[in-house]
Amino acid sequence: MFFRLVWGGIARRRWRALLTLFTMLLGVSLATAILNVMLDVGDKFNRELRTYGANLRVVPRSAAFLADFYGLEEGEGVTDKYLREDELPRLKTIFWAYNIVDFAPLLTTPVVLEGVDQPVTAVGTWFNQTLSLPTGDTVTTGVQGLKSWWSLKGAWPGEAASDPAGVALGESLARRLRLSPGESLVLTGQDGVRRTLPVTGVFLAGGREDGQIYVPLALAQAMAGKTGLVEEVEVSALTTPENDLARRAAQSPASLSAKEWETWYCTAYISSIAYQIEEVLTDARAKPVLAVAEAEGKILGKVELLLTLLAILALVASALALANLVTAGVMERRVEIGILKAIGAGDLGVISLVVAEVLLAGGVGGGLGYLLGIGLSDLIGQSVFGASISPHPAVIPLVLVLVFLVSVVGTLPAIRLLLRLNPREVLHGR
Amino acid sequence: MGGKKVNLTQRARRLSLFLRLVTSSFIRRRARLFTALLALGIGATVISGLLTLQLEIPRQLAREFRSYGANLILVPTGEQGIMDVEDVEAVADLIPEEQMVGITPYRYASLSINRQPFAAAGIRFPEARKTSPYWRIDGEWPGRGGEVVIGGDIAETTRLAPGSRVRVAGHRASGGQVEREMTVTAVLHSGGVEDSMLFLELANLETILGQPGEVNLVEVSVDAPSVELQTIVQSIRDTVPSVTARLVRRLTHSEATVLGKLRLLLLLVVTVVLGLTLICVGTTMMTMVMERRQEIGLKKALGADNQAVAWEFVAEGGLLGLVGGGVGYAAGYFFAQLVSQEVFGRDLAPDLLLLPLTLALSMLVAVLAALLPLRAALAIEPAVVLRGE
Repeated sequence: MFFRLVWGGIARRRWRALLTLFTMLLGVSLATAILNVMLDVGDKFNRELRTYGANLRVVPRSAAFLADFYGLEEGEGVTDKYLREDELPRLKTIFWAYNIVDFAPLLTTPVVLEGVDQPVTAVGTWFNQTLSLPTGDTVTTGVQGLKSWWSLKGAWPGEAASDPAGVALGESLARRLRLSPGESLVLTGQDGVRRTLPVTGVFLAGGREDGQIYVPLALAQAMAGKTGLVEEVEVSALTTPENDLARRAAQSPASLSAKEWETWYCTAYISSIAYQIEEVLTDARAKPVLAVAEAEGKILGKVELLLTLLAILALVASALALANLVTAGVMERRVEIGILKAIGAGDLGVISLVVAEVLLAGGVGGGLGYLLGIGLSDLIGQSVFGASISPHPAVIPLVLVLVFLVSVVGTLPAIRLLLRLNPREVLHGR
Repeated sequence: MGGKKVNLTQRARRLSLFLRLVTSSFIRRRARLFTALLALGIGATVISGLLTLQLEIPRQLAREFRSYGANLILVPTGEQGIMDVEDVEAVADLIPEEQMVGITPYRYASLSINRQPFAAAGIRFPEARKTSPYWRIDGEWPGRGGEVVIGGDIAETTRLAPGSRVRVAGHRASGGQVEREMTVTAVLHSGGVEDSMLFLELANLETILGQPGEVNLVEVSVDAPSVELQTIVQSIRDTVPSVTARLVRRLTHSEATVLGKLRLLLLLVVTVVLGLTLICVGTTMMTMVMERRQEIGLKKALGADNQAVAWEFVAEGGLLGLVGGGVGYAAGYFFAQLVSQEVFGRDLAPDLLLLPLTLALSMLVAVLAALLPLRAALAIEPAVVLRGE
């Protein structure tokens, strides 16, 4: 009987029921879309901010001062001014390996170009190097991904040392030498060997790199006579904005309690990633590039807060709009409820009838709305970030709570009204 | 003449009846009125709040992006490596004051601390804090003369700490050495080259070098999109040829990409929220009109034509939209202000252009929501409706 009443209530007023369903659907899809976007946008945005380049610099421990203080130069058994190239794949084995987006080693050496009196800095690096990791995976990393703001005419040189595939010139140097991609240049390194190399590309970086030559790392090592060594590694990592704990840890990790230390170590703070890099590389010091790291944390924090507030507004607005609709819908049914009461329905019966109908509409509309919402959030993800926004599992319970709250709270004022309803007055037509 | 008078009174009567119908329908159905106003108010709040934010957020965020540091670098044109402070001031005048975040001159020199040579830079500390807001300082920013800030790497190797007294020595441009006793007030960390440099107030360095009024490089932080920065660079080239302005491509390029994405994200979110909220409001309003079919039937039975009934509903909807829109505009501004203060810590000026827009949109929704179901209601025979079908 009860179900027949509920079903009858919906079937008889199909248009009305459809409208409620439709509004529920819209409200829920709005909530789903915005919640999904909000939960995923921090991560997506973090990735966008990586266009600002490396946020960690790995340098040999106290490298800069050895030469200054003790007069030690290379050739005297001093290798601790350098990092070892063969250790670099270990960067992808740390706890936060997946947060390390790109990295590239650097080794600078002066070279003499034919027709230029002053030596020019040649930088050996990886352009687009494929590494095989101790874990068996392979990753591709290098300047290409790390310096996304560089614009390149031509191509990056290849990597092989035996067959030096060429060099890339900074824009202002290329202009000075009147060279363009495809031509070749003659350079002499520290080892005294004259090499004729093709220019594969000319890049515009907008910094001092524009006056430098970029060469494959192996070539730079050969020219400088530093086989297997690099001076510095630039690392671009996805990080969590710093908080008090991270700042304290950055000052001195020893001051943390065991539990705090564990939290810190297992959170992708820039300081904990730096700490983990120092753990895997010999005599290395990983320093956050504050210009990038600080600003990134600040902006990320603001964007997340902003979207959270927008999501709250959207949720409150859709909840209110839905509740409002439910109230309006129930009030309309005064006559019907009046008849039910007149033929002996109790208060409880009336209330459960109304709530059941609303819940049914909410359930169906909510389910469809959830699917529509996932589609919407994906659309937003695709058009903004070119990547899909994966439906977050936490959204489902949130949406369920929303539908339930809206259904119940939305019917409350109406129920109060219905209970005070005098069947005789209603049926009389007032 | 007389006929016209009758006509006028008739019109006045009709108008007063019309007004009475509209207002009494409000008074009789206070609960409904509240529901309708709430729906329209929510819609208008969302409209005005989101649109205000949509207009304001990219502007505010662009300013936050200045925490990445200077986006414009001034260097001397040609090979001499030095430019006059007066030229720099001339350049500073070319940049609109409200867009200027900070401008820091750098004068480089080699100084030694306790006999060890280091790269040193003479800067203006109050400005440097604006152009490089990411510098982390242990200790105090220098205030008076005779004070020096050392980079983190130097502090580590020399074991100097804030408060240490050091002997700073430098070579005069005219020849000969000058030595000064100075206090280390702070240790600076940046993760970049600054970690192995010394910093002192430009005036201090000038007295050591004995060569005032010259700088090597100027960092400028300008709150402007890259197109505007290009114009600034161009106008510097035209008016002060001795100075070359360079954009820091890493910042300008990335900022355009990131801000563009953010703007698009906001636009999409705002469009979706606005669209869905307005439809929700519309359906609520439609429900409320639909339930008044009996009233419509009664009016028609008493001789009102379709047009008169339609006008009544339109006027009612418009009035509701106006009131709801007004309240919603205020609530939306309040919300946007809350967000702006919470997120950016800045006040928001109300955008008065949004008021007519909010009002028009909410009136449009209310009127449309009234008219759509009305067509169906008007098509029905009064007798059928009144019988209670």
